[in-house]
Amino acid sequence: MSVSLLAAAAAPVIKGPLAYFVTPFFGIFLSVAVYLLGQWLFKISKGFFLFQPLFVGMVLGIIVLVIIAKMLGMDTAKFYTMAYKPGGDILFWFLNPATIAFAVPLYKRNDIVKKFWLEILLSLIVGAFVSLFVIYGISKAFGLSNIGIASMLPQAATTAIALPISTAVGGNAAVTAMACILNAVIIYALGGWLVKVFRLNSDPIGTGLGLGTSGHTVGSAFALKLGSAQGSMAAIAVVIISIVIDIVVPIFAALVGLH
Amino acid sequence: MAANNKSNNESATTEKTAAPILIQIGIYATILFISWLISEFFVKTFPKFPLPTPVIGLVLLYLALTFKIVKVEWVDSFGGFMISLIGFLFVPSGVQLAGTLGILQNEGWKLIIVIILSTIVLLVVVAYTTRLFIWMRVHLFHRDADVDSEDQNK
Repeated sequence: MSVSLLAAAAAPVIKGPLAYFVTPFFGIFLSVAVYLLGQWLFKISKGFFLFQPLFVGMVLGIIVLVIIAKMLGMDTAKFYTMAYKPGGDILFWFLNPATIAFAVPLYKRNDIVKKFWLEILLSLIVGAFVSLFVIYGISKAFGLSNIGIASMLPQAATTAIALPISTAVGGNAAVTAMACILNAVIIYALGGWLVKVFRLNSDPIGTGLGLGTSGHTVGSAFALKLGSAQGSMAAIAVVIISIVIDIVVPIFAALVGLH
Repeated sequence: MAANNKSNNESATTEKTAAPILIQIGIYATILFISWLISEFFVKTFPKFPLPTPVIGLVLLYLALTFKIVKVEWVDSFGGFMISLIGFLFVPSGVQLAGTLGILQNEGWKLIIVIILSTIVLLVVVAYTTRLFIWMRVHLFHRDADVDSEDQNK
């Protein structure tokens, strides 16, 4: 943190009101403020799904950035990079220890891993393949360009794996990043409803693997709220599905002639 | 800040066997750094198959727990705390979309709809595929598929 503060001090002097935003304090403050507002809205609306704190935080955060950028007469993307990103990156870094922490719930349910390792592995490999075909079909049906389709395919992998694969199969990494982020936000907001509608409750292993695949780390946090079995299965899904996507998507893209 | 750290330490040690919070942080930091080294090595050796640091770290910590190199009470309470923050820690990723709002102009809201449908597809397809394999385990291979609802290694 001190390094970035020093870097900011050494950077050329920024004049005008923008200077008050070009600090990690702004990004961290804004992130906490919008998330807490989301928590409050979620509470007073008695759990209305669109008021999930993460979703509210994301939408409000973007709106605030757009408004301030407008007032300063700047491009939103540029304002985001200069003002929000320094603080956002500091918080973002903590997703690293948060992700590896899922080893603990996974370890606590080693009984399931030892008993069902074959089913887990097969389900994720077959499930990934079937999902790729369906996602490809949906993308075609909506008339996405080849770039758009290629960007949709790797989204089940964790972001750091999905982005380079997206580029490798001719996609746009920024679109894939958007997909991975929205996956997580959607599962966090709609997970409870989806589990109910598709009657997934009866089978904790399938529910966990599905939530980890579709919602990544955030999906795993959601799965852990449903139960220790679901949480541990989501954690193992995040790891294995990323490796499966790593290998399968380039083959699939060549198969359907995307590039 | 100092007072805050102190109270954290105290609450961690009052839990029966939990390691002091700074020791727990130390274990996470060590695993993350080792994972980063492995990740860098991997990128240089197999540039086509990226393996990000947190994915390696999750596997390493899991192996360390399974082979009893690390005791669960050395990493449990800090890990639980970090997991409880994930929704919040993900806010910067969501806000990041403000920097890429421009890409929506190309294929518009079609992309958003496809992403929403894809998310549901991934959840449902994987969940139902698992159900099929567990059904096969029970009905074709006649092995039980009971899942204990209690933690085994607590």
